[in-house]
Amino acid sequence: MAIATNNDTQQMAATKPRKKKLPTEVSILAVLIGIALLFEIVGWIVRGDSFLMNPQRLLIMILQMSIIGIIAIGVTQVIITGGIDLSSGSVLALTAMVTASLAQSSDYVRAVYPALTDLPWIIPLAVGLLVGALAGVINGSLIAFAMIPPFIATLGMMVSARGLARAYTDGQPVSMLTQEFTWIGSGANPVIIFLGVAVIFHIALKYTRYGKYTYAIGANPQAARVSGINVRRHLVMVYAIAGLLAGLAGVVASARAGTGQAGMGLMYELDAIAAAVIGGTSLAGGVGRVTGTVIGALILGVMLSGFTFLGVDAYYQDIVKGAIIVAAVIVDQYRQRKRKLT
Amino acid sequence: MKRLLLGAAIFATCTSSALAANIGASVAWFDDNFLTTMRNAMQAKADEMGHEIQFLDAQGDIGRQLSQVQSLAAQGVDAIIINPVDTAATQMMTKVAVENGIPLVYVNRQPEGNDLEQKDVAFVGSDQKLSGKLQMEELAKQLGGKGNVAIMLGELSSGATHKRTEGVKEVAAKYPDIKIIEEQPADYQRTKAINLMNNWIVGGQEIDAIAANNDEMALGALIAMQQSGIPADSILVGGIDATRDALEAMQRGELDVTVFQDAQGQGGGAVKTAIDMIEGKPVDKTNMVPFQLVTKDNLDDFLN
Repeated sequence: MAIATNNDTQQMAATKPRKKKLPTEVSILAVLIGIALLFEIVGWIVRGDSFLMNPQRLLIMILQMSIIGIIAIGVTQVIITGGIDLSSGSVLALTAMVTASLAQSSDYVRAVYPALTDLPWIIPLAVGLLVGALAGVINGSLIAFAMIPPFIATLGMMVSARGLARAYTDGQPVSMLTQEFTWIGSGANPVIIFLGVAVIFHIALKYTRYGKYTYAIGANPQAARVSGINVRRHLVMVYAIAGLLAGLAGVVASARAGTGQAGMGLMYELDAIAAAVIGGTSLAGGVGRVTGTVIGALILGVMLSGFTFLGVDAYYQDIVKGAIIVAAVIVDQYRQRKRKLT
Repeated sequence: MKRLLLGAAIFATCTSSALAANIGASVAWFDDNFLTTMRNAMQAKADEMGHEIQFLDAQGDIGRQLSQVQSLAAQGVDAIIINPVDTAATQMMTKVAVENGIPLVYVNRQPEGNDLEQKDVAFVGSDQKLSGKLQMEELAKQLGGKGNVAIMLGELSSGATHKRTEGVKEVAAKYPDIKIIEEQPADYQRTKAINLMNNWIVGGQEIDAIAANNDEMALGALIAMQQSGIPADSILVGGIDATRDALEAMQRGELDVTVFQDAQGQGGGAVKTAIDMIEGKPVDKTNMVPFQLVTKDNLDDFLN
């Protein structure tokens, strides 16, 4: 088969034996380390304390990005196919509401479904994943079969899912969840789930037919179709997986906060897209990796902790964050271009 | 065809049924828990008085809210209720209502301009600064007048964030031994507050009390403490709004202070004022619904 995964270093190394090409991740990793060191140095100057020599803080940096990271892994796959998913934050809110309503404790007199309290944790989890996947299937079908551009289809889902999340309980929060369920989001569990999802999809993209098809469709849909890939069916699957992961993020978010609220996950889709793009995923399609996205998410997490550590005035945080996102991508592109020229 | 005409006739009589007034309301955020309770109280009051009320979600956008007010005016509603997105940008909306001769009630957030001096414009709400003062006074009392306080800020674009924080700082300034050591935003959201509190905890500074601009953030701080193994009684935590979740947390002995903002009083009061204005009854220009401090001593009054 003539389809190569664009970033496959092994193949590149095989065709250009003179010098082993560095994967994109190395330059992103350099950016991550650079930003972390910057906070470390400024930290010593401003606070007289180490930013990085604190294992608990290192855990928190990943922990606070876990939910967005789970979404970002799905979004990365969608972007690799040349699409985009704007609906993940809203799908998170919808799943959080539905999941929470099935995870309420019987101690609570105002449960949404008084007859369905104290259910085993697997039920809200399964229903949450199902709701997410369903939203993804709708996205994918609109894109693959109704030929609606991904931006528009998922924009529609973004608005509708948020509306559904609100309508579900007339905007009231769904709280008092069972301990069994909130355990999913407690301690370092979100980190474990995030990294588990990352490993699964890293393998799926790199070593399976699913991954090969995904890259092929993003690189050239016509060629993919001609070479016998069922492009439509595959697109629906990719969006369904993105929806499923947004659903999983909704489950983890509601378990972590002990509540389901229609306002959850606001703008998460943009942070997820930022993590993917910082991590080297190209919006043009065909290029991207889960490892890059994980590092991209970590860059956002380091910035969040760093600003709080330094006590940077709240007004300036977003200005700097936006600048660093763009700078990280510029540095990465510059390095890539240089590599191509030499 | 006959059935269609019959249906149309029934529909016509329903919509033009005598006396029932039509009120149009634009709310800053449908996603906000307090505003949702207030919105439900408005709906309940309108239902109770036998009037129609239609809600629009401004989604935190001043431009969107102005368009909504314009279309409500064009639609010919009998009164407009606005929960303004930005208290400093209400003049245009007031102008639209006054020019169309439609009674206007601002609810929950008080316009900062001279809007209330116009004919048929009223305000029903509470003094946000007072809630911050009540919160900090009680925290100071429980701290014994001494300790490090960290403030969790709401959205920086919200007037309530500034007023509440101002109230907290004003009271804190009266105590020489109380220091405000941190002040960072968590946007009124529980998940963001968990992250912020986690970062504060690893920051290693001794924090004796958290003054959060709302209950959701206070609950987020408590979740972060619990997950880091910090007992709830080692740091005082105060919120504002007295939401259901917050009261339950206080009952469990976790939350120490909250301030009850009367959603029923404000929402119901706004509808009542609007109806009075439609019927030409005299109304107060400014109706202040009081805040009430909630601690475990008077928790039972609010729990039912």
